[in-house]
Amino acid sequence: MNIELIKLIPWIPLLGAVLCGICCMKPAWRKAAGPISVLSIFIPFLITCGVYSAASSLVGDDKVQTVYQWIGVGQFQVNMAYFVDPLTMVMLFVVTGIGSLIATYAMGYMKGERGYARFFMGVSLFIFAMTTLVMADNLVLLYLGWEGVGLCSYLLIGYYYEKPEAVAAAKKAFIVNRIGDLGFALGIFLTYMTYDSVSLSEVTTQAKIALANGIDPTSADLWIPFLLMLGAFGKSAQIPLYVWLPDAMAGPTPVSALVHAATMVTAGVYMIARLIPVFQLSPYALPTVATIGGVTALFAGTIALCQYDLKKVFAYSTVSQLGYMFLGVGALSTFGGIFHLFTHAFFKALLFLTAGSVMHALAGQLDLRAMSGLRKKMPVTCWLMFAGCLALAGFPFTAGFFSKDTILAEAMVRGTGEHGSTLFFWLALMGLLTAFLTAFYTFRLWFRVFMGPEHFEMGDDHGHAPEGDDDAHGDDHGHAHEPHEMPWWPMNIPLAILAAGALFAGLFFGGWMDHNIEHSTANPTAVLNVQADTQTAPAYDIITVSSQADTHATDTHAPAVSDHADTTQAGHGTDHEAHRAHGIHVMMMWVSSFIAIFGIALAGYFHWQNRPLTDKIAAKFGMVVEVLYNKYYVDEFYDLTIVKPLRGLGHLFYLFDQFVINGLVMTVGHLPRLAGWAVRPTQSGKIQGYGLGMVLGVAIAALLVFKWAF
Amino acid sequence: MDLLLLLTLFPLLSALPLMLPIKAFNCRKTVWSYALLSTLVTFVFSLIVAFKFDFAATGTMQLAGSLSWVDAFGLSFGFGIDSISLWLVMLTTFLMPIIILGSLSAVKMRVREFYFWMIVLETFMLGTFVATDIIFFYVCFELTLVPLYILIGVFGSDNRLRAAKIFFLYTFSGSMLTFAGVMYVAFVNSVNTGVWSFDIQTLYLAAAGMSLAEQSWVLGALLAGFAVKVPLFPVHTWLPLAHTEAPTAGSVILAGVLLKLGTYGLLRFALPMCPAAVVEYAWLIGIFAVLGVLVTALICWVQTDVKKLIAYSSVSHLGFCVLGLFALDIDDAGAVGAVMYMINHGLSTGALFLCIGMIYERFHTRDMAKMSGLGRVIPVWASFTVFFVLASVGLPGLNGFIGEFLTLIGAFLSPSNVLGVEYAAFAGVGMILAAIYLLYMVGKVIFGPLLVPDVHNDDGSHELNDLNPREIFTLLPLAAACLILGMLPHGMLASLEAPVGRLTASAKDAAELDTVFVEADTQGTPLRLAVDDHASVSLHAPLIKTAPRAAER
Repeated sequence: MNIELIKLIPWIPLLGAVLCGICCMKPAWRKAAGPISVLSIFIPFLITCGVYSAASSLVGDDKVQTVYQWIGVGQFQVNMAYFVDPLTMVMLFVVTGIGSLIATYAMGYMKGERGYARFFMGVSLFIFAMTTLVMADNLVLLYLGWEGVGLCSYLLIGYYYEKPEAVAAAKKAFIVNRIGDLGFALGIFLTYMTYDSVSLSEVTTQAKIALANGIDPTSADLWIPFLLMLGAFGKSAQIPLYVWLPDAMAGPTPVSALVHAATMVTAGVYMIARLIPVFQLSPYALPTVATIGGVTALFAGTIALCQYDLKKVFAYSTVSQLGYMFLGVGALSTFGGIFHLFTHAFFKALLFLTAGSVMHALAGQLDLRAMSGLRKKMPVTCWLMFAGCLALAGFPFTAGFFSKDTILAEAMVRGTGEHGSTLFFWLALMGLLTAFLTAFYTFRLWFRVFMGPEHFEMGDDHGHAPEGDDDAHGDDHGHAHEPHEMPWWPMNIPLAILAAGALFAGLFFGGWMDHNIEHSTANPTAVLNVQADTQTAPAYDIITVSSQADTHATDTHAPAVSDHADTTQAGHGTDHEAHRAHGIHVMMMWVSSFIAIFGIALAGYFHWQNRPLTDKIAAKFGMVVEVLYNKYYVDEFYDLTIVKPLRGLGHLFYLFDQFVINGLVMTVGHLPRLAGWAVRPTQSGKIQGYGLGMVLGVAIAALLVFKWAF
Repeated sequence: MDLLLLLTLFPLLSALPLMLPIKAFNCRKTVWSYALLSTLVTFVFSLIVAFKFDFAATGTMQLAGSLSWVDAFGLSFGFGIDSISLWLVMLTTFLMPIIILGSLSAVKMRVREFYFWMIVLETFMLGTFVATDIIFFYVCFELTLVPLYILIGVFGSDNRLRAAKIFFLYTFSGSMLTFAGVMYVAFVNSVNTGVWSFDIQTLYLAAAGMSLAEQSWVLGALLAGFAVKVPLFPVHTWLPLAHTEAPTAGSVILAGVLLKLGTYGLLRFALPMCPAAVVEYAWLIGIFAVLGVLVTALICWVQTDVKKLIAYSSVSHLGFCVLGLFALDIDDAGAVGAVMYMINHGLSTGALFLCIGMIYERFHTRDMAKMSGLGRVIPVWASFTVFFVLASVGLPGLNGFIGEFLTLIGAFLSPSNVLGVEYAAFAGVGMILAAIYLLYMVGKVIFGPLLVPDVHNDDGSHELNDLNPREIFTLLPLAAACLILGMLPHGMLASLEAPVGRLTASAKDAAELDTVFVEADTQGTPLRLAVDDHASVSLHAPLIKTAPRAAER
């Protein structure tokens, strides 16, 4: 297929969004919005498949596909241009592939909603922004996608806009993201200042040259990653900006699956992976990323333990899994990070959607305490979710197992050995602990919902705004008093595909992923084939120093990445090191398998076999449970320390504005009158007085002129 | 007759019949149609001007001409446009028919006077943008006050007289000082050349010969008028009041065009006339701009009146614009962005005022506590409002982003003796605050549980109607413009580079020379002149004068 077609990918969903917008206008047209939206996502998926081989073989400048000139002032030129390399293709597969499946499911899930067309307009618009984000050739266009997905997230979280909590959640999501985006924007400015360009291809190439030459990092080099990182932490919900994501679950469940699990929230991971050379230039950047990721993973994992809301559990689990991805890229394993992003998209989308099915069946019920033993009522959903849970828990040979294991093993490789840093050692241990927690809370949920005695309380159908006369879904759900299974089409078939991915994507796509990452800018070990004289046109072709014992390469080429900073690539390239790494990988595989199975077993005991005992234990540790249930009171803390003072300041300034400044001006306005009153006696009408005044005036003027002139 | 002169005078001429005793004009609709037609014709004229404009030479004054006035004093009506003027003229003529279109149901009393003053105002606004003679500029600049004073004072809401008074007092006293500054430059010119002239280009040259102290005084005088007009913090307090009390049309024209006279004046006069002083005091102006962005953004957040919120947001937004104007970065991203910002702000904030006017006509209240969840009942209005809010927030892909991003990048890349990274960083916080207060408004008014205030329609009914076709056609062109400028700004930016570059050139030179001397001073090396590879430093007389002072620091 012609590579030029790739330029169409973002614009098809945009067209879809416009068409869905038109469908909003008449109730009769609404039904068309779903298929339009699905098509507008599926066609780009087909294009992605079609151009994959052509796109992967692009070299040099051909990777940049320019559509038109966007912004340009002086040297600052930003084009509507796409950067096509294997990483882009991987991300496109995730976005359009998973996106198509979720949109298909949503056709069933959202059926009969009043805002059906509005919902799909948001989804299509989101895919436009997300594909732009992953395809952008420059940071400003990336920023367009970045803010665009933020907008769609805002609109979709606020879908049930009549509910105050949904509105608040939407606002919170947008604003917290904006805080990160400020860092991102400043990062772009500094990048432009430093590299004289905002083009990704240009910036990464220059950064690789700088890395290869082992230049001491300038202060800009140190700052850029930290500014960009702030954006990534906002979008990908990491400490300290994670607070918006759990609240974002107020949106419809397919949105949670698409936007807040599979695609948008991974944008931060993508950005850091894409710009890995820039991050490598600063010796502190990647360890910081890894630390934030590791700590967030554990922190969110503990909160997930004590949540009763089905979607909240998965939300915190998403935060936690994103933490893993950051740990991965922070440990220089962009492969691990992106691979986990890939597998996570499958199993977390699956988990959210099956949770959506449960919610759908129980008329909006989400409380774990209000449901039990649903396996008989919803057998398909039960086993689909089981597949997702296995993958999330990292059960051996499921998708999550491979990707998570890669990350933990790579962290351990960094953390041990002669150049090992203690930081990464501890982060790897934290990762293992998190893996245990993950297995436990995941299966706590599954055992609670599907196992044990059958028991359920129907919800109040919250979130499903009743429709007017053309109510089409009344017979479908909502008014039923019994939970029921979802139809195969359009709901369970997409889930089955996702489940297949959740179980087997790790087995089959690992090598493919490795290959793709290796040939993209995200490859941390790539050294540019640059001449000593970098003044000549910079080469885009990348020579890869593979980790498998290519001693020759590292010896003959210019100093490799590894010499640059102790945290990067500690001792790559020798047989011995490769052997050691292999050993750690194997060991971690065993350890994490054991941990996963142990966690699942423990969850089974406490939440299936012996629930009373669990309640007793929970009661004993009431304080701890309380703190965890209330998410460590972080929201309250932010409210008290940031929101309230700022608003107070606003009130203060307003008062100041009204009274002090305005008062001053009014006083000044009275001055002429005062002056007039003061000099009124001089206007007496007596000629002598005027004469005197005139003489005096002339004298003063003469004096002034005299002084000034001489 | 000269095209530009025709464009400028046409509104004035076409307004005159409204004051004649013509029977047909007793009907409200006829007057309205007449006004609409008049502004549309003006818009067509401006399109012809744009068509005749040579975009290959955007930096030069085109279609120029002059009418002599008092030759002995060098007074004349000189006119001509470069692309900065052209875009602002287009903004004005584009907004006018839209405003008239939106005013049909809002204005019911003294209809003739209302449209008469609206159309007259257009002439004065156009006059300021096409003037190449500083007295002509100043006359139009001052005369804009009169129609607006009447529009606010007669057609405003409850507190209109106080608002009109404060508005007039503020802007008039400020611009008196501006006039003094301009006269001083003209005086210097007459001393130097022996001839009085008020031609702007001539005065640039004259101003170039002034010492730093003189330039500083002139800058102060210019700022007195222009900063009030912008308005720059802390002389902004007239604006929220004027906006809140003005009729919708007045608010739109105020936000859309009249505030731009201030930034336009800064760009056209302050930067080229007192370059050394601009460099010297940019930090101070920058601090006020940033403070304005932040303080007024926080004030927006605690408003309960929707219109006041948008009014304060204007102050906050224009802080970015001023910051960009004084950035003096090498690419001119700041100043070009600032011009773009003027256009964008006119479109999106003008549109927001129109949106608010539309619900005010229905509810006769603007209190956010009294309305909620309106998206449920008037979805079309809600969609438009959300769209313009997004443009105003600076969402990439819409117009607001381009200006905001460029002004910020300009401030960020600004030479360290002018502005710098910290200004951009602090002003950038304004991006977050903008999201906070605007989404707070959207969350209150458009989302949330349904709460509709009492509706009073013209026909006495109490039914809440969504936008009618006329109102949709009022907002649609603005929405289209926002989208087009957001996605395809390249043409406009490219056309602005040359003229903006001409206006900022001397200030940039001054900044560079200043750096050279400071560097020389700190390093203890002999003074070195003009050693940069970017631009050869042109050695104007004032720079040589000012440079040793810079070295003294």
